[in-house]
Amino acid sequence: MEQVDLATGKNRTPEMLAKNPAGGLPFVELDDGTHLAESVAICRYLEGLHPEPNLLGKDSREQAFIEMWNRRVELNLFAAAARAFQHTSEMFKTRIKQFPEYGATQRETVANQFKWLDAQIGNKPYIAGDRFTIADITAEVAVDFAVQAAGVPMDPALRNLARWHQSVSSRPSAKA
Amino acid sequence: MKIYDFTGAPNPRRVRVFLAEKGINNVPFEQVNIATADNRKPEFLKINPMGGIPVLELDDGTHIAESVAICRYFEDLKPEPPLMGVDAKDKGVVEMWNRRMEFEVLGMAAGSFRNTSDFFKGRIPQVKEYGEVCKSAAIKRLEWLDTVLADREFIAGPRYTIADITALIGIDFGRTTQIRIQENQKNLARWHQAVSSRPSAKA
Repeated sequence: MEQVDLATGKNRTPEMLAKNPAGGLPFVELDDGTHLAESVAICRYLEGLHPEPNLLGKDSREQAFIEMWNRRVELNLFAAAARAFQHTSEMFKTRIKQFPEYGATQRETVANQFKWLDAQIGNKPYIAGDRFTIADITAEVAVDFAVQAAGVPMDPALRNLARWHQSVSSRPSAKA
Repeated sequence: MKIYDFTGAPNPRRVRVFLAEKGINNVPFEQVNIATADNRKPEFLKINPMGGIPVLELDDGTHIAESVAICRYFEDLKPEPPLMGVDAKDKGVVEMWNRRMEFEVLGMAAGSFRNTSDFFKGRIPQVKEYGEVCKSAAIKRLEWLDTVLADREFIAGPRYTIADITALIGIDFGRTTQIRIQENQKNLARWHQAVSSRPSAKA
């Protein structure tokens, strides 16, 4: 793995943009020269190479169900936390046109998503049901980012969310 | 099996075009009027607690929301013609391009519409200036897409895929806030003409 320093804008240099024109991280460079960007696209490639343990679903129904949950977490929680951070942080001050007012609405969205997710988790051990999947990875990273970077605290009254977060955070993979 | 649909909205159209490309024409559709917020009523929130459409209802009672999740269900059920990639690498590449089209084109067109349109007034806190930023981002992304299409027939390469469907619907939806293909964007215009003239585009 090669480090690209986002804090100093190294992902926006012409050499990096030639590899990934969208400028994001991470991306994979395959031996045939193909550059694969977008986290979930990279995960799907890795799942194809190493189907076990399965993290993206086995049959039609399960693949769709896990994708639904991964997207719900990504588009509603993670994306809102990212926008809250981008529109209020020092790091993005000179990179994008910031609208702190918009960032504030996104913080509220994150807080509401925490509540929503708590209700949806209920008694389930994991986000998409009875086993650990990519939806748990996305949700764990999103919650950590929302709390640590976007400054939205996790209300301890949300017990299901707290119980789930504690469980996935204690897996060895969480240290990656 | 049935699909909760609304013919005027961009996301349900993604699924309809996908099914048309697959040649699947036996799934019944039920309209949910989002203009009158029927998707926010308690009965519908039992079907999809996010309130979005489309939603696929399976015979065992499972509800699958999220357009791409629904497409993935049908891709696995009927792999031909492949619209989401054929092997590990190709599946990754198609997913990458589909996501770029989702976040950079459709997402920006949606951000522009949501924050500036009368349709969303009172439904969400609108920040007009942010809508303008989304609009200019979408316009810039079309310039970039024109260069991408200089040396390939379709968005993700030589084959028509779900990334073309997402891009088509993103660009068509962009018209609601005057995001348009420019006259000098010949590659993009050629591609748009080609994908729009497929029978599936009418779905």
